[in-house]
Formats: sequence, C-alpha cells, structure tokens
Amino acid sequence: MERIDRRLGLLFALPVSAILAGAFLAPLLVVAIFSTMPQKVFDFLHWPDFSSYRVILEQGYWRSILWSLGLAFTATALLLVICWPLAYGMARVFGRFTLVLTVLVVMSLFVSENIRLFGWFLTLMKGGLIEGHLRAWFGQGFEGLLFNVPAILFGLVYVYLPFMLFPLAQGIAMVPDDARAAAFDLGASRWQVFTQIELPLAAPGIMVGSLLTFVLSAGAIAEAKLLGGRAVIVIADDIETAFTFAQNWPLGSALSMVLIAVVGTLVILGLRRVDLDAIMGRRR
Amino acid sequence: MMLNRRQFQLGLAGALGAAALPGAAGAQSRDNELNILCWEGYNTDSVLGPFRSAHPGATVRAESGTSDPDMINKIRAGEINIWDLINLNQPWARDQMYPEGLIKPLDKERFMPLFDKFLPEFRGPYPLAFADDGALLGLPQRYGPFCFVVNTDKISREMAEDQGWNLFLDPALAGRYGVLTYDNWNLIHFCMAAGIDPFSPLSADQKQRFTEVATRIFQNSKVRSGDLVAMNIALINGEIDAYFTGGTYTASPARYDGQTQVRGITPRSGPIDGKGGVVWIELTSTVNNPNLSPLAAEFLEFVHQPEIAKAVAFAEGTYNPVANMGDPETMALFDEEELDAIQWDTLPEEMARSVEFDSMPDYDELIQIYTAIRR
Repeated sequence: MERIDRRLGLLFALPVSAILAGAFLAPLLVVAIFSTMPQKVFDFLHWPDFSSYRVILEQGYWRSILWSLGLAFTATALLLVICWPLAYGMARVFGRFTLVLTVLVVMSLFVSENIRLFGWFLTLMKGGLIEGHLRAWFGQGFEGLLFNVPAILFGLVYVYLPFMLFPLAQGIAMVPDDARAAAFDLGASRWQVFTQIELPLAAPGIMVGSLLTFVLSAGAIAEAKLLGGRAVIVIADDIETAFTFAQNWPLGSALSMVLIAVVGTLVILGLRRVDLDAIMGRRR
Repeated sequence: MMLNRRQFQLGLAGALGAAALPGAAGAQSRDNELNILCWEGYNTDSVLGPFRSAHPGATVRAESGTSDPDMINKIRAGEINIWDLINLNQPWARDQMYPEGLIKPLDKERFMPLFDKFLPEFRGPYPLAFADDGALLGLPQRYGPFCFVVNTDKISREMAEDQGWNLFLDPALAGRYGVLTYDNWNLIHFCMAAGIDPFSPLSADQKQRFTEVATRIFQNSKVRSGDLVAMNIALINGEIDAYFTGGTYTASPARYDGQTQVRGITPRSGPIDGKGGVVWIELTSTVNNPNLSPLAAEFLEFVHQPEIAKAVAFAEGTYNPVANMGDPETMALFDEEELDAIQWDTLPEEMARSVEFDSMPDYDELIQIYTAIRR
C-alpha cells in the first residue's frame, strides 16, 4: 500500500512538475535552440548554423559583455563595503530600529525601478536638485553628474542595495556571539576577529548577497540607459536591440545564452564554496 | 496521507479540467472582447473610456509598445490569436506584416469614405495604406515630421533649418548635443547627415561615409538616451542645445508645458530628391486573428470621430497632429496653445520638405555597423 501511495504521489506531482518544466525549462530551451538558427529567422524550421555565435565574436559584442561583468563586479564589491556596517548594525546593534530600517528599505522596492532612477536623474542632472541648489546658493554650478560610468555604478548600487543588505544581515546574525567572545578572550585583535571569525562564518550570507547583486547587475539595463546616457553599452542593451530593432532573434538568443553561460558558471563556482543550507537554517 | 483510487481519479479529472480551460475560453466567441496593441495614446482613458461606455458589456484592453519591432515581435511570437488591432508606423504594414500574413485587409466600402475628411496629404488616398494588390491595410491617423530638435534660444530655427543635418557635423556644436537613441531612426538620420538617401541601396563608399558620420556624431555627443523626457530636460536645463533624432512627437510635451523654445526642425534641403526631412505616419490595421473581434472595425471607425480624434492627438505622453484635422469639425476642437505645441504653424511646409519613413534596403548591415559603433 505504501508503494502504491508513493506512486500515486508521483502521479499527483506530475502536473506541477510539468508546469515547472514548461515555465522554467521550456523558455530556456527555446532560447537555446533559437541561438543556433541562421540569422534573422523567426521559427525553428531551419538547419542550425550557429552563425550568431560567430557574429558575436566578429562584431565585438564581447565588449558589452565585459562592460556588464565589470560593472556588476564593481557594484557588488561596492555594495559589500557599503552594506557590511549597515548589516552588522541590523544584526547586532540597532535592536528595534532594525525593523524600521527593514521597512524603509523594503518600501523602496514598492516603487518601480524606472521611476526611482528617474528621480535620481532629476536629482543629479544639470539644473537638478543638487547642481541647481548649489548654483542658486553660491552662484556657481557645474556640468551635472550624469552620463558617465560612475553614474551607472551609483544606479546599480542604489537599486540592488536591498539584495545585498538582507542576506548579509542574515549571514552576520549567524556568527555565534560565543565564537566572537572566545576569540577576544584568547587575545585576538578586532581585525583578527573580523577576518578569521566573522567573515568566514558569515560567508554564506556574503555569497548569497554577492551572487544576487552580481547576477542582477550583470543583466541590468535601465541604469546604463537612463543615468549613464549610454556612455557604455551593456549586454542587456545589445540583447534588446537584437530582438527589437535588428529583428534578429537568433542573435539576441545567442547573446542571452552567452550571458547565461558566463553568469551561470560564476554562480556555480561561487555556490560550490558555500553551504546554502546553513543560511536557510536547516543545518547549524 | 493514503490515497484511494476514487480520490486519485477525482484529482486527475480536476487537473485535466483545469488544463482544458484556456482552450475552451479560446474557442468562445469574441463579440465582447477587444485587444489593441498600439503606440501610447490609444490606450488612455480619454480614448478607451467613451468606447467602453458605448459597449458596456465589452472587455476592451489596450497595451502600448515601446517600439514598432517590439509590437511586431508579440504577433510573431504567437500572440496573433490575442490581438485584434495593431498600430504601427507606415512601412511595416506594407513591407512585413501583410506579406507575412500578420494583418488582414480592411473593408474598403466601410473605411474608404473616412479618407474624404482627412488632411489633403492623406486624402489622395494615402498610398502607403494600400498593398500592391490594392488591399486597404490600415488607416492613418497620427503623424509628424521627425528629424532633430533644437533649443531656439541657443540655435535659431532659421539657422537650424538652413544648416540642416550639417549642424551636427559642425565642430562648434561638438559636446553640446544629444542623440536620442531610437535605433531605426538614428540609422535614417545618420544617412541623411552623411548626404545619403537611406531608402535606396547603399554603395560601399556610402556605407563607409555612413560609418564615419555615425562615429563622429556619436563621439561628439554629450548625452545618449532613448528617453525623450530625459532629452527634453537636458535641452531645457542647458546641458545640450540640440538633439539628434526627434521632432514634433518628442518636442510637443515640452512645448505644451510652456517650453516653446524646444522645437522640432525639418531641414530645408537634404539628400532625398532635395528633401531633408522624414515623416512618420501611424497606420492602424486589423490583426490576422482567426477569431477577430467584430469590435475591431467598430473601434477603428470610432477613433475617427472628431472628439475621439482630438483625444488621440492630445492623449498623455506626446502630442501629435492627426490626419482628421482636415475635417473642420475636428479642427475646431484644438485651441491655440495646442496647435502651437504641435507646431501647426510650420507643419505644412515641414511636411512638404519630408519624405515618407520607409524600409531601408541596407537596414541589416547598417544596424550592425550602428551597434558596433555604439559599443
């Protein structure tokens, strides 16, 4: 009876499994197949010629990929530095104020990313909130703060801050007070406690936060378009152009596959180094 | 939990029933449903509200796209069964959607009389609304010259019109202009700036010239953005004095807001039979939906009523002239401020200096060059 029951359970799970396969794997498979099709076709009824991958190599698309990865790496590093003290405070110091801070940060997510970025556009532009005020007060302005790489980085850091902050706070909360106290008792300096106790024990939180922000930043587009004034072209921008104005679905698919492969490899390498179960609280 | 056969069968029947539901809904008659894929404007309450009131039981849905190809992608990707109307710029219907069977012709008997009330340019009737086989593919409504935009406090209209596209090659303007990155329009305008007719096949020399000019205009630009509001703001606050690619469509929101120094410019001369401007004209067509809603044709008629045509012209976002302004009853609905926002004073001469937005024979190669330069 137990065996029949298990088989029935499997059968009942089939529809959900089919939906999951259809919703997650099928679109990826479609993109993967499209990426092998000849240039500018809109169906699968052609022999694969992998020409899009050749186009990517020949036409310098690697530059956009490098820009996206470089910006994502830098934004992730900046977020780690910015969020560590904040997350530390949330996990150890702020007490009830942590809730207020959490609500404030989460509330920002309720507003569309584009609207928030446009708010910054109005703040940073020439004649905007900052330059306009300075000019009114001191009679001298400057050339605005937009349309450059730092502006894109600022946008990435601003938009993806919550995705680093919360996993990091969770990671820091996992460091047992006893371990820290024991280290101090044994004569460890503040720096030693930080590098040898806190960082390794909070590693799952650091890794999850870093992966989230890195993956999201690598695929980001609005920051470079709006705040960066397309000072650099990111890979997501090229993918969008390939699918729309170029009407070249195979090229767009191939660019997506390259991005998925690069980011996927980095994520898998990263995940192999941490125990995700630890941060989920299953094994402590 | 233990399951018995009866429970399992019940569960399976439920799952199968749920799976069959979308199919069942798809087979239903669509008398009370209308789905419109359009540029922003047709999806506003001022346009849809009165239609919904006239058809109380109907579900009318409109979604605005961000570009022509973005909308065509939806139809190509299998949404042909969903949409009833599609509203795109003029070359797509004739060159791609009709030959590919994505749209179906309109009833000439029903719609041809509408052309009689259009402006003279469209009364002919408008040739790009027809296929080579004579089928009526769509109805024109909004339109506008599309070249570039200047701040007339910094660069006079006369000077900009005289200099035309050379303005952006003038070292004096280097670092003082933006590029509104509407990719397909940029290609047309880079050709114009290079003294090339974009709608004819390009020679190797011309492609080289295109590359040089596009590189130079990109390199010397201060701002590159696909957002017309961002570009207008940069123009108004003095960050730039002009932007490459733009026209009534992009300048009108700023002008209607009182910033009348923001002005779309159509060059006096250019490389296409002496003409230096290009005009876009939207066509609204019925999608080749196997189960097309009868409300599609009704909506198409409805938007050409004077009040609704005015609402289409001044829907939210951007403000544009409409072909219906040839009808005195529609024209009477526009006030002076609105006419000034859409540059009505110079519109006929700008139209006379413009050619139709058309498909480009070398588009594929030029967009590759363009994306490479952009990087």
